[in-house]
Amino acid sequence: MNSMAGVLLRVPLFKLYRKFGWPRMLPLNLTLSPSPKCNSRCLTCNIWMKREDELTLDEWDKVLASLDQAPYWFTISGGEPLMYPHVVELAQLAYERCHPGVINIPTNGILHTIPERVERIARSCPKSQVIINLSLDGVGEKHDIVRGVPGNFKKFEQRLEQLLSLRNQLNNLTIGIHSVVSVFSVDHLDEIIAYADQSGADQFITEIAEPRVELDTVGLPITPSPESYAKAIDRLIAYVERKRFTGVARITEALRVEYYELVKRILDEEDQVIACYAGWVSAHIYADGTVWPCCVRADNLGNLRDHNYDFKEIWFGKKIKEVRQSIAAKECHCPLANASYTNMLHDIGTLARVGTKVLRPGNRRPQAAVGDPGQSAARAAPVRQGAGE
Amino acid sequence: MAFDWLSRFHHHMEKEPDYAVKTLAAYRLGMKAKGSIVGVVVQPAPNCCDAAQKLPAAKVYHPDQAPFLPLSGCPQGRRCGCVYRPVMTYQEADKG
Repeated sequence: MNSMAGVLLRVPLFKLYRKFGWPRMLPLNLTLSPSPKCNSRCLTCNIWMKREDELTLDEWDKVLASLDQAPYWFTISGGEPLMYPHVVELAQLAYERCHPGVINIPTNGILHTIPERVERIARSCPKSQVIINLSLDGVGEKHDIVRGVPGNFKKFEQRLEQLLSLRNQLNNLTIGIHSVVSVFSVDHLDEIIAYADQSGADQFITEIAEPRVELDTVGLPITPSPESYAKAIDRLIAYVERKRFTGVARITEALRVEYYELVKRILDEEDQVIACYAGWVSAHIYADGTVWPCCVRADNLGNLRDHNYDFKEIWFGKKIKEVRQSIAAKECHCPLANASYTNMLHDIGTLARVGTKVLRPGNRRPQAAVGDPGQSAARAAPVRQGAGE
Repeated sequence: MAFDWLSRFHHHMEKEPDYAVKTLAAYRLGMKAKGSIVGVVVQPAPNCCDAAQKLPAAKVYHPDQAPFLPLSGCPQGRRCGCVYRPVMTYQEADKG
């Protein structure tokens, strides 16, 4: 089974790979989007309108087999991933083929079948940490407006209760709340934080709404201004820092605060700020088999169907070199959370700040990431969010 | 606008052969399924062809009526930098 220690050992190798093209490494952070279909109608996302000639399970199996045991972190994204009819089988294939440490799945919480599917995934992937993040973009009707589905908040609450009950039976299951901070929600982030705090969820994470080719949101005014984002996120940082965490939660919360600070800098400076490793350490496989370095640029690196489902052929091929040059030359910058957490692991300054914060003496009262003292700190693993909800 | 680089980058991406058909089908579905999309605009590339220059600026089309990109006779073919952009209810509301 992939371990975090194994990930850290690969960090210097990835740094060499990015700089010199050697040693050749497969990504450790992989997002799979088996289908763009979604039953939400979010103001910040248009992926649900897309239809693709989706990879079959047999095709996914071949792709996953070609990855060896490289990926530590899988995100199964969408669309609404728990609406994809074969999501349980896909998670099982990823588990059997790659032995990942983490399988992370965002969800809108609408379908009543979600708890049953999550239970099957968690039970059939016992050595992986399964993280389910329920999307929350407002409290009550505000959530329904941003998500474009009347009654969504009520369903969110039902699903949260069911999933928390399931979590109490399954040690490898983490239930989080994930919020997209957009122009539509930035003014009520405080309300969402307060809600998450009393919810019993293992963690609360946020990601800024940014345009992505994948979501067909390029040019749409969904990103809050740097000022309004900073104002809202500073309150979240202050909230996190008032809490006292121990063990793994102490590290993950320090990383999250680093991420929030990084986003502020990216918005302000309009620059990568720290080196981006998308295309080296992280990658995305879209529903039709196209490989992307990330879902923001969504450069077509090649389609797995044209490469005998061999991920290595694309990853170590010619086309990707040009894209890597562009990323290394900082022709792009974005605050995509999934890639940013990977990037932070490869940034010495970030690691030094996180280390200092973790080692600083403080109140050692045990605390999970959102504030439920009863939860295992091990559940507060760093969470990255893939595209779509 | 935040992340202007992405908009420029998107203009430079090579188009899939079925770009127009797929994109307009998605928008058609989006409108039919009561999403917050209200139509589509063509955003011409800075170096667009004569035909693209003659398109009415910022006209919001129903996906059934939008011109196919690349426009017929565009010398840049799949490298045509003109793109579709969805138009959302909240953008229309902002216009007043």
